Amino acid sequence: MPSSIRGSATNSEGASTAPSDGRRAPGGALLPASPENRIAAAKPPLERRQPSRAWYLDVWVQILRRKPLGTVGGGIVVVMLAGAVLADVISPYGYAQTSLRERFVSVSAQHWLGTDQLGRDLLTRLLYGARVSLYVGFGAVALGSALATLIGVASGYFGGRLDLLLQRAVDAWMAFPPLLLLMSIMSLLGPSALNITVVLGLAFGIQNSRIVRAVAMSIKEHTYVESARALGSGHLRVTVGHILPNVLPTIIVVATTGLSTVILTEASLSFLGLGVPPPYPTWGGMLSLAGLDHMYQAPWLAIWPAVALSLAVFGFNMLGDALRDLLDPRLKGG
Amino acid sequence: MKQYVLRRVALAVPTLFLVSVIVFLLLRLMPGDVATRMVEGHAYAPTLAALRHDLGLDRSMHAQYAEWIGNIVLRGDFGRSYWTRQPILEEFVRRFPVTLELALLTIIVSVVIGVLVGIVSAARQDSVSDYIGRILSIFALSVPYFGLAVVVVVLPSIWFRWTPVWTYVAFSVSPAENLKIMLIPALVFGVTRAGPIMRIMRSSLLDVLRQDYIRTAWSKGLSERRIILRHALKNALIPVISLIGLQMPLYIGGSVIIEAIFRLPGVGLFFFEALGKLDYPVVQSVNLIIAAMVVGLNLLIDLSYAFLDPRIRY
Repeated sequence: MPSSIRGSATNSEGASTAPSDGRRAPGGALLPASPENRIAAAKPPLERRQPSRAWYLDVWVQILRRKPLGTVGGGIVVVMLAGAVLADVISPYGYAQTSLRERFVSVSAQHWLGTDQLGRDLLTRLLYGARVSLYVGFGAVALGSALATLIGVASGYFGGRLDLLLQRAVDAWMAFPPLLLLMSIMSLLGPSALNITVVLGLAFGIQNSRIVRAVAMSIKEHTYVESARALGSGHLRVTVGHILPNVLPTIIVVATTGLSTVILTEASLSFLGLGVPPPYPTWGGMLSLAGLDHMYQAPWLAIWPAVALSLAVFGFNMLGDALRDLLDPRLKGG
Repeated sequence: MKQYVLRRVALAVPTLFLVSVIVFLLLRLMPGDVATRMVEGHAYAPTLAALRHDLGLDRSMHAQYAEWIGNIVLRGDFGRSYWTRQPILEEFVRRFPVTLELALLTIIVSVVIGVLVGIVSAARQDSVSDYIGRILSIFALSVPYFGLAVVVVVLPSIWFRWTPVWTYVAFSVSPAENLKIMLIPALVFGVTRAGPIMRIMRSSLLDVLRQDYIRTAWSKGLSERRIILRHALKNALIPVISLIGLQMPLYIGGSVIIEAIFRLPGVGLFFFEALGKLDYPVVQSVNLIIAAMVVGLNLLIDLSYAFLDPRIRY
């Protein structure tokens, strides 16, 4: 379709000059108007209005306007971020600061969410625990998205033998129950924040490379990619200049919806003692079996970390869903 | 059909080969030495070298791999545990019914809840019950199953001053006692797993209900119950089944944690304990057996589509 060449080559200019042309579809002068072109021209310019902001800013405005659940999710994420960043400002206690006189305090003015078996303040530990969740979550997702893009674009764009080889390896990886494989790797690497971030990033990247690959394969078929090749652009220029920008919305969607899964997986590994080692608090670790005996005495030790984790997962899920509705090209009608 | 099955089985072979290489290499390339631990902490052998020789750790890596995989393929021998010297397959077979029962009960719970709520949500779209259903699914998606499990274990003892004793009773010994013990873990796990099923059931049923043949069914004057249960449900279940198939690894992975919390002597606990002791043969073989099961199960699920949708032919 010629319109797609024009549209992408002249980018936003083409879109803004088209309406002033009146009824003429872009590229209509070059070719006899096909039915598709006529339909495109006759369509009222609903999606045509140009936001004055860039799309990545506009998305947030759209969420606030049209996605109440996404707004709630975003609010939770912001609160969690603030709590994690400002943990040492908010809390008068240290995360490992024990006080044997104040063991198993339930809710009180000094300790809003109570204390644990060593008299450590639970709220403080939850705030520092949020740091781990976010650090591992964002770190692993950033790493994983980069990896997914690399594998996906290489596999989808170049195809052929490279694709076959990469995809069999991905197949093999996906045949494992993820938790079993992650447990195997983590128990051998030893628990640490860096290890778990890298391992989760690896898993996230391999898993999602399939989605990126599918998108890259469909973009490759577009005429503007063909014409870029015909104009003499090398593979690097085509992948970076044409494929990557078009894969980006998909990657953002995959990353935001994946954040909650990564945070949950980190928590399950920490729960099993394979995440970030104590005394640094993690939500999964605070729930873990090691403390089960104390939880009979002080049920809030089990409840608050579970609530914090649920809220975080809920927040990232809702925000991710809203972003996906707005960004996913597959869900956009027409 | 036969050809399709054969081709799928043939495709599974290279996948499983790669799986075996991945687990084997992972365990060998990483730091951590089981022999040192066995000699130092537990005096399994007089010297480190003797133990290494006993376990076959002094041989080259490809020889070790060839022996492991060769025994599996030729003799169905999955090796022995380093620590107990027991055959792994025997232990696996002994424990597998526990994990299978847990997985089946969990799937039943999650499917019953998910499908029922999904149907109500879709049939009464945008009504109060739909909103309640959607809130339930969001809740189920957000609550981590191990968090829920810990709370469920802890709270009764606080509220009723009653601590349930989690001693496992085999189904063959006493089915009633066994179900009493398995039900709570399955409920906890199943409720949290029902979230995605509710969601996909709702959207797929909504999709099916808008199709022409449903309109035909309405115009024939059939009752709503008949239209949904007899005409729409079968087609709407296809995505649900593929979701369960895709999530099978999650059910198995989750059983590790559930078994650890509720002290169920299943494969998950076996695996978890072996990991803690760096028992390579166990970790490696259990990973491989389970991966093979996942691959086989996915094949079965693909074949079940033909049953649900007679238009699908292989």
